[in-house]
Amino acid sequence: MVSGGRVQMVSLVHAELRKLLGLRTAWVGLVLGLLAAPVLVGLNASATRRAVAEGLTGDASDLAFQNLGIGVLGAMILGVVVVSSEFTPTGDDVPGARQLTATLLATPRRERLLIAKGTALSLVVAVQGLLTTVATLVITRWVHGSLIPAPQPGRAAAAVLYWVLIALLAYAITLLARNGIVTLTVLIVNSTVVSLPYLLTKVTPWAAYLPDVVGAHMFLRSIEVPVEIAPVTAGLVMSAWVAGLLAVAAALFNRRDA
Amino acid sequence: MIAIDHLSRPGRLHDVSFEARPGRVTGFLGPNGAGKTSTLRVLLGLDRARGGTALVSGRRYAEWSRPLTVVGALLDGSGAHRARSARAHLRWMATSNRLPRSRVAEVLDLVGLTDEAGKRAGGFSLGMSRRLGLAAALLGDPPVLVLDEPVNGLDPAGIRWMRAFLRDAAAEGRTVLLSSHLMGELSGIADDVVIIDRGRVVASGTVDEVSAGHLTLEDAFFALTAGTSKW
Repeated sequence: MVSGGRVQMVSLVHAELRKLLGLRTAWVGLVLGLLAAPVLVGLNASATRRAVAEGLTGDASDLAFQNLGIGVLGAMILGVVVVSSEFTPTGDDVPGARQLTATLLATPRRERLLIAKGTALSLVVAVQGLLTTVATLVITRWVHGSLIPAPQPGRAAAAVLYWVLIALLAYAITLLARNGIVTLTVLIVNSTVVSLPYLLTKVTPWAAYLPDVVGAHMFLRSIEVPVEIAPVTAGLVMSAWVAGLLAVAAALFNRRDA
Repeated sequence: MIAIDHLSRPGRLHDVSFEARPGRVTGFLGPNGAGKTSTLRVLLGLDRARGGTALVSGRRYAEWSRPLTVVGALLDGSGAHRARSARAHLRWMATSNRLPRSRVAEVLDLVGLTDEAGKRAGGFSLGMSRRLGLAAALLGDPPVLVLDEPVNGLDPAGIRWMRAFLRDAAAEGRTVLLSSHLMGELSGIADDVVIIDRGRVVASGTVDEVSAGHLTLEDAFFALTAGTSKW
Protein backbone atom coordinates (compact mmCIF):
# COMPACT_ATOMS: atom_id res chain seq x y z
CA MET A 1 0.00 0.00 0.00
CA VAL A 2 2.86 2.31 0.88
CA SER A 3 4.64 1.71 -2.42
CA GLY A 4 1.30 1.95 -4.25
CA GLY A 5 0.81 5.39 -2.76
CA ARG A 6 4.31 6.37 -3.81
CA VAL A 7 3.74 5.20 -7.39
CA GLN A 8 0.53 7.18 -7.39
CA MET A 9 2.25 10.31 -6.09
CA VAL A 10 4.94 10.04 -8.77
CA SER A 11 2.30 9.92 -11.51
CA LEU A 12 0.41 12.83 -9.94
CA VAL A 13 3.58 14.95 -9.85
CA HIS A 14 4.32 13.92 -13.42
CA ALA A 15 0.80 14.98 -14.48
CA GLU A 16 1.19 18.33 -12.70
CA LEU A 17 4.56 18.93 -14.39
CA ARG A 18 2.90 18.26 -17.74
CA LYS A 19 0.09 20.66 -16.92
CA LEU A 20 2.39 23.44 -15.74
CA LEU A 21 4.96 23.18 -18.53
CA GLY A 22 2.19 22.93 -21.13
CA LEU A 23 1.14 26.53 -20.46
CA ARG A 24 2.61 29.51 -22.25
CA THR A 25 2.17 31.75 -19.20
CA ALA A 26 4.32 29.34 -17.20
CA TRP A 27 7.06 29.67 -19.82
CA VAL A 28 6.88 33.46 -19.50
CA GLY A 29 7.69 33.02 -15.81
CA LEU A 30 10.33 30.42 -16.53
CA VAL A 31 12.19 32.45 -19.16
CA LEU A 32 11.76 35.78 -17.36
CA GLY A 33 13.17 34.26 -14.19
CA LEU A 34 16.08 32.69 -16.04
CA LEU A 35 17.08 35.85 -17.90
CA ALA A 36 16.28 38.81 -15.66
CA ALA A 37 19.11 38.52 -13.13
CA PRO A 38 21.95 37.67 -15.55
CA VAL A 39 20.84 40.45 -17.93
CA LEU A 40 20.66 42.99 -15.09
CA VAL A 41 24.25 42.19 -14.15
CA GLY A 42 25.30 43.28 -17.63
CA LEU A 43 23.05 46.35 -17.72
CA ASN A 44 24.16 47.56 -14.30
CA ALA A 45 27.84 46.80 -14.85
CA SER A 46 29.13 50.38 -15.06
CA ALA A 47 26.86 51.70 -12.31
CA THR A 48 28.01 48.85 -10.05
CA ARG A 49 31.66 49.57 -10.81
CA ARG A 50 31.17 53.23 -9.92
CA ALA A 51 29.34 52.40 -6.72
CA VAL A 52 32.12 50.09 -5.58
CA ALA A 53 34.80 52.66 -6.48
CA GLU A 54 33.01 55.35 -4.50
CA GLY A 55 32.43 53.01 -1.58
CA LEU A 56 28.64 53.36 -1.78
CA THR A 57 27.91 49.68 -1.36
CA GLY A 58 27.14 48.33 2.08
CA ASP A 59 28.56 44.90 1.54
CA ALA A 60 30.33 44.31 -1.78
CA SER A 61 29.61 40.59 -1.61
CA ASP A 62 25.90 41.42 -2.00
CA LEU A 63 26.43 42.81 -5.50
CA ALA A 64 26.57 39.33 -7.02
CA PHE A 65 23.30 38.35 -5.36
CA GLN A 66 21.17 41.49 -5.50
CA ASN A 67 19.78 40.89 -8.96
CA LEU A 68 18.50 37.47 -7.91
CA GLY A 69 16.00 39.32 -5.73
CA ILE A 70 14.45 40.80 -8.88
CA GLY A 71 14.63 37.69 -11.06
CA VAL A 72 12.58 35.89 -8.43
CA LEU A 73 9.57 37.49 -10.14
CA GLY A 74 9.72 34.58 -12.60
CA ALA A 75 9.35 32.08 -9.76
CA MET A 76 6.40 34.08 -8.45
CA ILE A 77 4.65 33.90 -11.81
CA LEU A 78 5.09 30.11 -11.81
CA GLY A 79 3.66 29.88 -8.30
CA VAL A 80 0.61 31.89 -9.35
CA VAL A 81 0.05 30.12 -12.68
CA VAL A 82 0.16 26.62 -11.16
CA VAL A 83 -3.06 27.50 -9.29
CA SER A 84 -4.69 30.26 -11.36
CA SER A 85 -4.75 28.02 -14.46
CA GLU A 86 -7.18 25.80 -12.56
CA PHE A 87 -9.60 28.68 -12.00
CA THR A 88 -9.43 30.34 -15.45
CA PRO A 89 -12.80 29.98 -17.26
CA THR A 90 -12.39 27.36 -20.00
CA GLY A 91 -14.62 29.17 -22.47
CA ASP A 92 -17.25 31.85 -22.96
CA ASP A 93 -19.93 29.31 -23.88
CA VAL A 94 -20.11 27.71 -20.47
CA PRO A 95 -19.77 30.21 -17.64
CA GLY A 96 -18.25 28.70 -14.53
CA ALA A 97 -16.51 25.81 -16.29
CA ARG A 98 -12.87 25.54 -15.22
CA GLN A 99 -9.98 23.10 -15.48
CA LEU A 100 -10.33 22.48 -11.74
CA THR A 101 -13.29 20.20 -12.43
CA ALA A 102 -11.20 17.91 -14.63
CA THR A 103 -8.35 18.08 -12.12
CA LEU A 104 -10.52 17.01 -9.20
CA LEU A 105 -12.22 14.29 -11.23
CA ALA A 106 -8.78 12.85 -11.99
CA THR A 107 -7.40 13.51 -8.49
CA PRO A 108 -10.27 13.71 -6.00
CA ARG A 109 -8.03 13.52 -2.92
CA ARG A 110 -7.38 17.19 -2.52
CA GLU A 111 -4.48 17.01 -0.11
CA ARG A 112 -2.64 14.67 -2.52
CA LEU A 113 -3.38 17.05 -5.37
CA LEU A 114 -1.94 20.00 -3.44
CA ILE A 115 1.19 18.04 -2.49
CA ALA A 116 1.68 16.98 -6.12
CA LYS A 117 1.23 20.56 -7.34
CA GLY A 118 3.60 21.94 -4.70
CA THR A 119 6.20 19.30 -5.54
CA ALA A 120 6.00 19.94 -9.28
CA LEU A 121 6.30 23.69 -8.69
CA SER A 122 9.25 23.29 -6.30
CA LEU A 123 11.08 21.06 -8.78
CA VAL A 124 10.66 23.50 -11.66
CA VAL A 125 11.62 26.54 -9.58
CA ALA A 126 14.58 24.77 -7.95
CA VAL A 127 16.03 24.01 -11.39
CA GLN A 128 15.22 27.53 -12.57
CA GLY A 129 16.73 29.10 -9.44
CA LEU A 130 19.86 26.96 -9.62
CA LEU A 131 20.53 27.76 -13.29
CA THR A 132 19.87 31.46 -12.77
CA THR A 133 22.01 31.71 -9.63
CA VAL A 134 24.96 29.97 -11.26
CA ALA A 135 24.61 32.05 -14.44
CA THR A 136 24.32 35.29 -12.47
CA LEU A 137 27.34 34.56 -10.29
CA VAL A 138 29.48 33.46 -13.24
CA ILE A 139 28.57 36.55 -15.26
CA THR A 140 29.19 38.82 -12.24
CA ARG A 141 32.63 37.26 -11.84
CA TRP A 142 33.32 37.64 -15.54
CA VAL A 143 32.18 41.28 -15.67
CA HIS A 144 33.65 42.52 -12.39
CA GLY A 145 36.47 40.07 -11.69
CA SER A 146 38.05 40.51 -8.28
CA LEU A 147 36.20 43.80 -7.66
CA ILE A 148 33.50 41.75 -5.92
CA PRO A 149 34.38 39.02 -3.41
CA ALA A 150 34.02 35.42 -4.61
CA PRO A 151 30.51 34.13 -3.79
CA GLN A 152 30.12 31.48 -1.12
CA PRO A 153 28.30 28.28 -2.18
CA GLY A 154 26.14 28.44 0.95
CA ARG A 155 24.72 31.79 -0.06
CA ALA A 156 24.04 30.52 -3.57
CA ALA A 157 22.12 27.56 -2.13
CA ALA A 158 20.19 29.96 0.12
CA ALA A 159 19.25 32.06 -2.91
CA VAL A 160 17.83 28.96 -4.65
CA LEU A 161 15.88 28.10 -1.49
CA TYR A 162 14.55 31.68 -1.41
CA TRP A 163 13.23 31.26 -4.96
CA VAL A 164 11.47 28.01 -4.10
CA LEU A 165 9.93 29.51 -0.95
CA ILE A 166 8.73 32.63 -2.82
CA ALA A 167 7.12 30.39 -5.46
CA LEU A 168 5.37 28.39 -2.73
CA LEU A 169 4.27 31.64 -1.08
CA ALA A 170 2.69 32.78 -4.36
CA TYR A 171 1.11 29.32 -4.67
CA ALA A 172 -0.47 29.56 -1.21
CA ILE A 173 -1.73 33.14 -1.72
CA THR A 174 -3.27 32.29 -5.11
CA LEU A 175 -4.94 29.24 -3.59
CA LEU A 176 -6.50 31.50 -0.97
CA ALA A 177 -7.53 34.18 -3.48
CA ARG A 178 -8.58 31.68 -6.19
CA ASN A 179 -7.61 34.30 -8.72
CA GLY A 180 -4.30 34.83 -10.49
CA ILE A 181 -4.66 38.40 -11.68
CA VAL A 182 -5.18 39.92 -8.24
CA THR A 183 -2.36 37.89 -6.70
CA LEU A 184 0.06 38.56 -9.51
CA THR A 185 -0.62 42.30 -9.48
CA VAL A 186 -0.07 42.53 -5.74
CA LEU A 187 3.10 40.44 -5.88
CA ILE A 188 4.59 42.33 -8.82
CA VAL A 189 3.86 45.76 -7.36
CA ASN A 190 5.23 44.59 -4.04
CA SER A 191 8.48 43.32 -5.49
CA THR A 192 9.17 45.96 -8.15
CA VAL A 193 7.47 49.27 -7.32
CA VAL A 194 7.22 49.42 -3.58
CA SER A 195 7.66 46.68 -1.00
CA LEU A 196 4.84 46.96 1.50
CA PRO A 197 6.62 44.93 4.19
CA TYR A 198 9.70 47.11 3.66
CA LEU A 199 7.65 50.28 4.14
CA LEU A 200 6.16 48.79 7.27
CA THR A 201 9.61 48.35 8.74
CA LYS A 202 9.64 52.16 9.04
CA VAL A 203 6.65 51.82 11.35
CA THR A 204 7.55 48.75 13.32
CA PRO A 205 10.79 46.74 13.31
CA TRP A 206 8.69 43.56 13.50
CA ALA A 207 7.73 44.06 9.85
CA ALA A 208 11.25 42.88 9.03
CA TYR A 209 9.96 39.42 9.85
CA LEU A 210 7.28 39.49 7.10
CA PRO A 211 7.96 36.67 4.62
CA ASP A 212 9.57 38.33 1.62
CA VAL A 213 11.75 40.77 3.60
CA VAL A 214 12.97 38.21 6.09
CA GLY A 215 13.72 35.67 3.36
CA ALA A 216 16.16 37.96 1.60
CA HIS A 217 18.40 37.83 4.69
CA MET A 218 19.18 34.25 3.73
CA PHE A 219 21.48 35.40 0.94
CA LEU A 220 21.86 39.20 1.26
CA ARG A 221 23.94 40.80 4.01
CA SER A 222 23.27 44.54 3.87
CA ILE A 223 19.51 44.97 3.93
CA GLU A 224 18.35 48.26 5.39
CA VAL A 225 16.07 47.07 8.13
CA PRO A 226 16.18 48.02 11.79
CA VAL A 227 16.91 44.49 12.99
CA GLU A 228 19.79 42.09 12.48
CA ILE A 229 18.55 38.71 11.24
CA ALA A 230 20.94 35.79 10.82
CA PRO A 231 20.63 33.78 7.55
CA VAL A 232 19.51 30.56 9.30
CA THR A 233 16.93 32.44 11.38
CA ALA A 234 15.72 34.11 8.20
CA GLY A 235 15.35 30.76 6.47
CA LEU A 236 13.43 29.29 9.38
CA VAL A 237 11.10 32.28 9.71
CA MET A 238 10.32 32.37 6.00
CA SER A 239 9.75 28.59 5.91
CA ALA A 240 7.36 28.91 8.84
CA TRP A 241 5.42 31.64 7.02
CA VAL A 242 5.16 29.54 3.88
CA ALA A 243 4.20 26.38 5.79
CA GLY A 244 1.57 28.29 7.78
CA LEU A 245 0.00 29.94 4.73
CA LEU A 246 0.02 26.64 2.83
CA ALA A 247 -1.69 24.91 5.75
CA VAL A 248 -4.46 27.54 5.90
CA ALA A 249 -4.88 27.52 2.10
CA ALA A 250 -5.02 23.71 2.04
CA ALA A 251 -7.56 23.55 4.87
CA LEU A 252 -9.83 26.01 3.03
CA PHE A 253 -9.36 24.26 -0.30
CA ASN A 254 -10.34 20.98 1.35
CA ARG A 255 -13.50 22.40 2.82
CA ARG A 256 -14.77 24.53 -0.06
CA ASP A 257 -16.91 23.30 -2.92
CA ALA A 258 -14.95 23.14 -6.14
CA MET B 1 -23.57 0.71 -9.65
CA ILE B 2 -24.38 4.09 -8.11
CA ALA B 3 -26.06 4.32 -4.72
CA ILE B 4 -27.29 7.69 -3.47
CA ASP B 5 -28.54 7.41 0.08
CA HIS B 6 -30.33 10.15 2.05
CA LEU B 7 -28.20 12.90 0.55
CA SER B 8 -28.82 16.36 1.93
CA ARG B 9 -27.35 19.78 1.31
CA PRO B 10 -28.90 22.86 2.89
CA GLY B 11 -31.27 24.63 0.52
CA ARG B 12 -30.44 22.31 -2.36
CA LEU B 13 -31.01 18.62 -1.61
CA HIS B 14 -33.43 17.03 0.82
CA ASP B 15 -33.02 13.35 1.61
CA VAL B 16 -32.24 12.33 -1.97
CA SER B 17 -32.04 8.56 -2.46
CA PHE B 18 -31.89 6.44 -5.63
CA GLU B 19 -29.82 3.86 -7.43
CA ALA B 20 -28.46 3.48 -10.93
CA ARG B 21 -27.80 -0.11 -11.89
CA PRO B 22 -25.36 -1.80 -14.30
CA GLY B 23 -26.58 -2.55 -17.80
CA ARG B 24 -29.24 0.15 -17.60
CA VAL B 25 -29.56 3.77 -18.59
CA THR B 26 -30.95 5.78 -15.69
CA GLY B 27 -32.43 9.14 -16.55
CA PHE B 28 -32.18 11.78 -13.84
CA LEU B 29 -34.94 14.17 -14.67
CA GLY B 30 -36.01 17.49 -13.27
CA PRO B 31 -36.65 21.15 -14.05
CA ASN B 32 -33.70 23.53 -14.08
CA GLY B 33 -32.48 24.16 -10.56
CA ALA B 34 -34.12 21.03 -9.15
CA GLY B 35 -30.85 19.65 -7.79
CA LYS B 36 -29.62 17.38 -10.59
CA THR B 37 -26.20 18.96 -11.06
CA SER B 38 -25.83 19.40 -7.31
CA THR B 39 -26.45 15.68 -6.74
CA LEU B 40 -23.98 14.69 -9.45
CA ARG B 41 -21.31 17.07 -8.10
CA VAL B 42 -21.65 15.59 -4.63
CA LEU B 43 -21.48 12.09 -6.12
CA LEU B 44 -18.23 13.05 -7.88
CA GLY B 45 -16.67 14.60 -4.77
CA LEU B 46 -16.70 18.14 -6.19
CA ASP B 47 -19.21 19.56 -3.71
CA ARG B 48 -19.81 18.59 -0.11
CA ALA B 49 -23.05 17.18 1.30
CA ARG B 50 -24.28 17.88 4.82
CA GLY B 51 -25.58 14.34 5.29
CA GLY B 52 -26.06 11.02 3.53
CA THR B 53 -23.77 9.08 1.23
CA ALA B 54 -23.13 8.80 -2.48
CA LEU B 55 -21.24 5.68 -3.51
CA VAL B 56 -19.86 4.45 -6.80
CA SER B 57 -19.24 0.70 -6.93
CA GLY B 58 -19.40 0.64 -3.14
CA ARG B 59 -17.01 3.49 -2.34
CA ARG B 60 -17.03 7.25 -2.18
CA TYR B 61 -15.57 8.73 -5.36
CA ALA B 62 -12.58 10.21 -3.51
CA GLU B 63 -11.65 6.79 -2.12
CA TRP B 64 -10.73 5.47 -5.56
CA SER B 65 -7.03 5.93 -6.25
CA ARG B 66 -7.52 5.81 -10.05
CA PRO B 67 -11.06 7.18 -10.31
CA LEU B 68 -10.99 7.56 -14.10
CA THR B 69 -10.96 3.76 -14.36
CA VAL B 70 -14.12 3.56 -12.23
CA VAL B 71 -16.28 6.51 -13.30
CA GLY B 72 -16.34 8.56 -16.47
CA ALA B 73 -17.94 11.93 -15.84
CA LEU B 74 -19.12 14.59 -18.25
CA LEU B 75 -20.00 17.93 -16.67
CA ASP B 76 -20.22 21.49 -18.01
CA GLY B 77 -17.62 22.29 -20.64
CA SER B 78 -14.61 20.20 -21.60
CA GLY B 79 -12.56 20.88 -18.47
CA ALA B 80 -9.59 21.71 -20.68
CA HIS B 81 -7.61 24.92 -20.09
CA ARG B 82 -8.32 27.15 -23.09
CA ALA B 83 -4.64 27.40 -24.04
CA ARG B 84 -4.14 23.63 -24.06
CA SER B 85 -4.68 21.35 -27.02
CA ALA B 86 -7.21 18.54 -26.77
CA ARG B 87 -4.39 16.03 -26.91
CA ALA B 88 -2.34 17.75 -24.19
CA HIS B 89 -5.41 17.88 -21.94
CA LEU B 90 -6.09 14.17 -22.33
CA ARG B 91 -2.40 13.34 -21.86
CA TRP B 92 -2.10 14.89 -18.43
CA MET B 93 -5.35 13.27 -17.38
CA ALA B 94 -4.06 9.88 -18.56
CA THR B 95 -0.75 10.42 -16.74
CA SER B 96 -2.49 11.28 -13.46
CA ASN B 97 -4.38 7.96 -13.46
CA ARG B 98 -1.53 5.88 -14.90
CA LEU B 99 -3.42 5.10 -18.09
CA PRO B 100 -1.51 4.05 -21.22
CA ARG B 101 -0.73 6.93 -23.56
CA SER B 102 -2.31 4.97 -26.42
CA ARG B 103 -5.73 5.57 -24.84
CA VAL B 104 -5.51 9.26 -25.74
CA ALA B 105 -5.50 8.57 -29.48
CA GLU B 106 -8.18 5.89 -29.03
CA VAL B 107 -10.68 8.15 -27.25
CA LEU B 108 -9.97 11.07 -29.61
CA ASP B 109 -10.83 8.74 -32.47
CA LEU B 110 -13.92 7.44 -30.67
CA VAL B 111 -15.43 10.92 -30.33
CA GLY B 112 -14.25 12.05 -33.78
CA LEU B 113 -11.73 14.65 -32.64
CA THR B 114 -8.57 13.14 -34.15
CA ASP B 115 -8.24 15.93 -36.72
CA GLU B 116 -8.69 18.64 -34.09
CA ALA B 117 -6.45 17.01 -31.47
CA GLY B 118 -3.68 19.59 -31.84
CA LYS B 119 -5.96 22.63 -31.69
CA ARG B 120 -6.42 24.78 -28.58
CA ALA B 121 -9.49 23.84 -26.58
CA GLY B 122 -10.31 27.57 -26.21
CA GLY B 123 -11.24 27.72 -29.88
CA PHE B 124 -13.60 24.74 -29.76
CA SER B 125 -17.31 25.03 -30.49
CA LEU B 126 -19.74 23.93 -27.79
CA GLY B 127 -20.23 20.61 -29.58
CA MET B 128 -16.48 19.98 -29.85
CA SER B 129 -16.03 20.83 -26.15
CA ARG B 130 -18.68 18.27 -25.23
CA ARG B 131 -16.92 15.68 -27.34
CA LEU B 132 -13.59 16.47 -25.68
CA GLY B 133 -15.30 16.15 -22.30
CA LEU B 134 -16.69 12.79 -23.33
CA ALA B 135 -13.25 11.67 -24.54
CA ALA B 136 -11.89 12.50 -21.08
CA ALA B 137 -14.73 10.55 -19.47
CA LEU B 138 -13.89 7.49 -21.56
CA LEU B 139 -10.10 7.58 -21.01
CA GLY B 140 -10.11 4.96 -18.26
CA ASP B 141 -12.72 2.73 -19.97
CA PRO B 142 -14.87 3.02 -16.83
CA PRO B 143 -17.80 0.71 -15.96
CA VAL B 144 -19.83 3.69 -14.74
CA LEU B 145 -20.74 6.81 -16.74
CA VAL B 146 -22.18 9.96 -15.18
CA LEU B 147 -23.29 12.65 -17.62
CA ASP B 148 -24.85 16.02 -16.84
CA GLU B 149 -27.09 17.18 -19.70
CA PRO B 150 -24.91 15.33 -22.24
CA VAL B 151 -26.67 16.47 -25.40
CA ASN B 152 -26.63 20.19 -24.57
CA GLY B 153 -24.94 22.00 -27.43
CA LEU B 154 -24.88 19.01 -29.77
CA ASP B 155 -26.28 19.20 -33.28
CA PRO B 156 -28.97 16.67 -34.33
CA ALA B 157 -26.36 14.25 -35.66
CA GLY B 158 -24.42 14.58 -32.41
CA ILE B 159 -27.54 13.92 -30.35
CA ARG B 160 -28.29 10.82 -32.40
CA TRP B 161 -24.70 9.66 -31.96
CA MET B 162 -24.78 10.27 -28.19
CA ARG B 163 -28.03 8.34 -27.76
CA ALA B 164 -26.67 5.34 -29.63
CA PHE B 165 -23.43 5.57 -27.71
CA LEU B 166 -25.16 5.53 -24.31
CA ARG B 167 -27.42 2.65 -25.30
CA ASP B 168 -24.37 0.67 -26.43
CA ALA B 169 -22.58 1.47 -23.18
CA ALA B 170 -25.50 0.07 -21.16
CA ALA B 171 -25.70 -2.96 -23.46
CA GLU B 172 -22.04 -3.63 -22.60
CA GLY B 173 -23.07 -3.80 -18.96
CA ARG B 174 -22.05 -0.29 -17.90
CA THR B 175 -24.02 1.80 -15.45
CA VAL B 176 -25.18 4.95 -17.22
CA LEU B 177 -26.63 7.87 -15.27
CA LEU B 178 -27.58 10.96 -17.23
CA SER B 179 -29.38 14.07 -16.17
CA SER B 180 -31.73 16.07 -18.31
CA HIS B 181 -34.41 18.71 -18.04
CA LEU B 182 -35.99 17.56 -21.31
CA MET B 183 -38.26 14.55 -21.43
CA GLY B 184 -37.83 14.01 -25.14
CA GLU B 185 -34.14 13.33 -24.64
CA LEU B 186 -34.84 10.38 -22.42
CA SER B 187 -37.69 8.66 -24.20
CA GLY B 188 -36.47 5.58 -25.97
CA ILE B 189 -33.09 5.67 -24.26
CA ALA B 190 -33.69 5.45 -20.48
CA ASP B 191 -34.63 2.20 -18.79
CA ASP B 192 -35.13 3.76 -15.39
CA VAL B 193 -36.14 7.27 -14.41
CA VAL B 194 -35.58 9.31 -11.27
CA ILE B 195 -37.56 12.54 -11.11
CA ILE B 196 -36.29 15.28 -8.82
CA ASP B 197 -38.09 18.52 -8.00
CA ARG B 198 -36.97 21.27 -5.64
CA GLY B 199 -34.30 19.04 -4.15
CA ARG B 200 -36.56 16.04 -3.49
CA VAL B 201 -36.99 12.81 -5.41
CA VAL B 202 -40.66 12.72 -6.35
CA ALA B 203 -40.69 9.49 -8.34
CA SER B 204 -38.33 6.71 -9.36
CA GLY B 205 -38.61 3.37 -11.11
CA THR B 206 -38.71 1.99 -14.62
CA VAL B 207 -40.07 4.25 -17.33
CA ASP B 208 -43.30 2.21 -17.32
CA GLU B 209 -43.68 2.40 -13.56
CA VAL B 210 -43.16 6.15 -13.41
CA SER B 211 -45.47 6.90 -16.34
CA ALA B 212 -48.20 4.52 -15.11
CA GLY B 213 -51.53 6.36 -14.95
CA HIS B 214 -50.28 9.02 -17.38
CA LEU B 215 -50.35 9.05 -21.14
CA THR B 216 -46.63 9.62 -21.53
CA LEU B 217 -43.52 10.07 -19.44
CA GLU B 218 -43.81 13.76 -20.21
CA ASP B 219 -47.32 13.91 -18.74
CA ALA B 220 -46.06 12.08 -15.67
CA PHE B 221 -43.19 14.55 -15.34
CA PHE B 222 -45.42 17.61 -15.43
CA ALA B 223 -47.96 16.03 -13.09
CA LEU B 224 -45.21 15.19 -10.59
CA THR B 225 -43.41 18.52 -10.79
CA ALA B 226 -46.55 20.66 -11.01
CA GLY B 227 -46.17 24.07 -9.51
CA THR B 228 -42.52 24.60 -10.33
CA SER B 229 -43.04 25.56 -13.92
CA LYS B 230 -45.21 28.50 -14.77
CA TRP B 231 -45.90 27.36 -18.33
